[in-house]
Amino acid sequence: MTTSLELNVRNPSGLHARPAAVFVRAASGFRSEIRVENVTTGSAPVTAKSIIGVLGLGVSCGHRIRLVVDGEDEGPAAEALRSLVEAGLEEGTNAELGSSRPA
Amino acid sequence: MELSGIAAAPGVAIGPVWRHAAGMGTGNPVPDAHVAAERASTELMALAARVRAAGRAGDAAIFEAQAMMALDPMLLAAIADRAARDPSLSTPPTPDQVAALVEAVAGEQADTIAALEDERLAARAADVRDVGARIVRIVAGRSIALPDVPSIAIADDLPPSIAAEIDDGKLLGIALERGSVTSHAAILARGLGIPAVVGTRGLLPAAGEHRMAAVDGDAGRVIFDPTEDELRALKAVVEQRHAAGAAARALRGQPGQTADGHRIELLANIGRPEEVDRALEAGAEGVGLFRTEFLFVGRAAAPSEDEQADAYRRVLEAFGERPVVIRLLDVGGDKPLPYLRLAPEPNPFLGIRGLRLAHQHREVLLEQVRAIARAGAALPVAPRLMAPMVATIEDVELLHELVAAALAELDRRTVARAARLEVGIMIEVPSAVLLAAELAQRVDFFSIGSNDLTQYVLAMDRTHPELASAADALHPAVLRAIRATVDGAASSGIEVAVCGELGGDPLGALVLAGFGIGSLSMDAGRLDDVRLALSRLTLAQLQDIARAALAATTADEVRSIVRANSTPT
Repeated sequence: MTTSLELNVRNPSGLHARPAAVFVRAASGFRSEIRVENVTTGSAPVTAKSIIGVLGLGVSCGHRIRLVVDGEDEGPAAEALRSLVEAGLEEGTNAELGSSRPA
Repeated sequence: MELSGIAAAPGVAIGPVWRHAAGMGTGNPVPDAHVAAERASTELMALAARVRAAGRAGDAAIFEAQAMMALDPMLLAAIADRAARDPSLSTPPTPDQVAALVEAVAGEQADTIAALEDERLAARAADVRDVGARIVRIVAGRSIALPDVPSIAIADDLPPSIAAEIDDGKLLGIALERGSVTSHAAILARGLGIPAVVGTRGLLPAAGEHRMAAVDGDAGRVIFDPTEDELRALKAVVEQRHAAGAAARALRGQPGQTADGHRIELLANIGRPEEVDRALEAGAEGVGLFRTEFLFVGRAAAPSEDEQADAYRRVLEAFGERPVVIRLLDVGGDKPLPYLRLAPEPNPFLGIRGLRLAHQHREVLLEQVRAIARAGAALPVAPRLMAPMVATIEDVELLHELVAAALAELDRRTVARAARLEVGIMIEVPSAVLLAAELAQRVDFFSIGSNDLTQYVLAMDRTHPELASAADALHPAVLRAIRATVDGAASSGIEVAVCGELGGDPLGALVLAGFGIGSLSMDAGRLDDVRLALSRLTLAQLQDIARAALAATTADEVRSIVRANSTPT
């Protein structure tokens, strides 16, 4: 069994700098193998437990990422990473405004 | 021996040379890459804790991320994989072989990140390389001999993780072969209040066996083993600067004017309402550029009309009848805001930025104009609004249409507002210079953004490490563009101000005043020097200087002409 999900990265600095460290630290807390790829740029997947790998994905604000989680704690891992990314990786985001504001 | 570079942090320092290089073999080698990586990670965490305790949370976050990089599974796997496959390695591999492996793998992984061509990621790539270098030192048993007496650091680049290990007070000044004014070492130097010169080509070969160095962070030069004469000259420069500082402070509180009493309004650039006090203390006669990005960046939601109106009101009220120019949001694809959904662009400086946001995010700018009109409701003077990145007549028509729509909406809501707004534009792209006469008929004032104008006229990125020193606002091509703007505006009689760094450079200010520009806006810290420089010359002398500068063919020539004609005799 694997769990796969796609997420929009909405925090201002994407998976750069500090948010990348927050993401990798969270992923490293699970036993499952977690792979992440940048869907927007079509990058090859890397392990989500590598900060060098995650930085190399070049994920900016507005990009879409795919997570593939495989292992004994894959359910909780996927859920934790989903809520972390959706909440803006401790940097903040604003999904509501983005969708309701007239362009 | 003297070398020139980019002045990155002000001041002059003289002291013994300390060279940051690979380091000496003083410890026991650690031929196991994994063990060495763990030690590197521990060292970096300790460093993070130390700078965090000193209140430097930003640096601490960098070192914490580097501690993670040292134990990165991709890095360690690649090192182990390479070691297993390399038939030339001895069994077990020697420390030198392991060190070479680590250096190669860390370098390649850093290159992958650097290849993404994102300025923020370039710094992370440097962090990876720096971590690799630390592991290599541990593997090879080398350590960096940190300066034990107050010294001038001479290096190719100075990684933050090395700079932070140097004891307080042991760093007198920094001179780097590479780097730009925005590089980490330059920021660190300004934070520590020590001089720095970066981008000094030929620095390392020239350093040779020299033992003493002087760093002049005002003029951007490095002198090795200064002679008695050079030392005397440097001391004289320092004393002269002190004396000029005292003379300049004595003029505070007086309006800007030439020796024969022609007024040159001296204003401050501010980036948030909290900077008002500093501007007033420095004797600013108003605000020539109130940047509004602070309200919009680093947050998840756009600020509300109310929040914006409050912020603008605080600044307008602090200056009363004195002028305050509020610039509309100036962002582009290089600084995406999460709620604006600006697509990444191949050329963000030639893309959707400044006023061009109106095409995709009209409501954001309308809301901002409404907030400005509301903030000025109770003021005795019309608030001044300024649009960045205006390139065409259509842009100005769009701007007026936005202002009219915003005011109409406030009236529909019967909200109190300023009776009228003064509407101005930034002159920062070449097309606006060429259209100056036509644009001047359609707006209330011009403000020349000399930083962007320089970059667009010369087609040189001012933050580019190789081009920064050539992207000079005193270049005759830029001065001629400014002169053409002034001439274009003359037929309509509208005011022309300058709000870029050129106006805050005393040499630049003299030329601009000589062009007949009557309003200069700058960082508050520059006001003293500019006020003093202007007070020493008559308008006729300034006009002579400006004429001679326009006839020059290079920026260096302009600089020497202005210096020669403005030095007090």
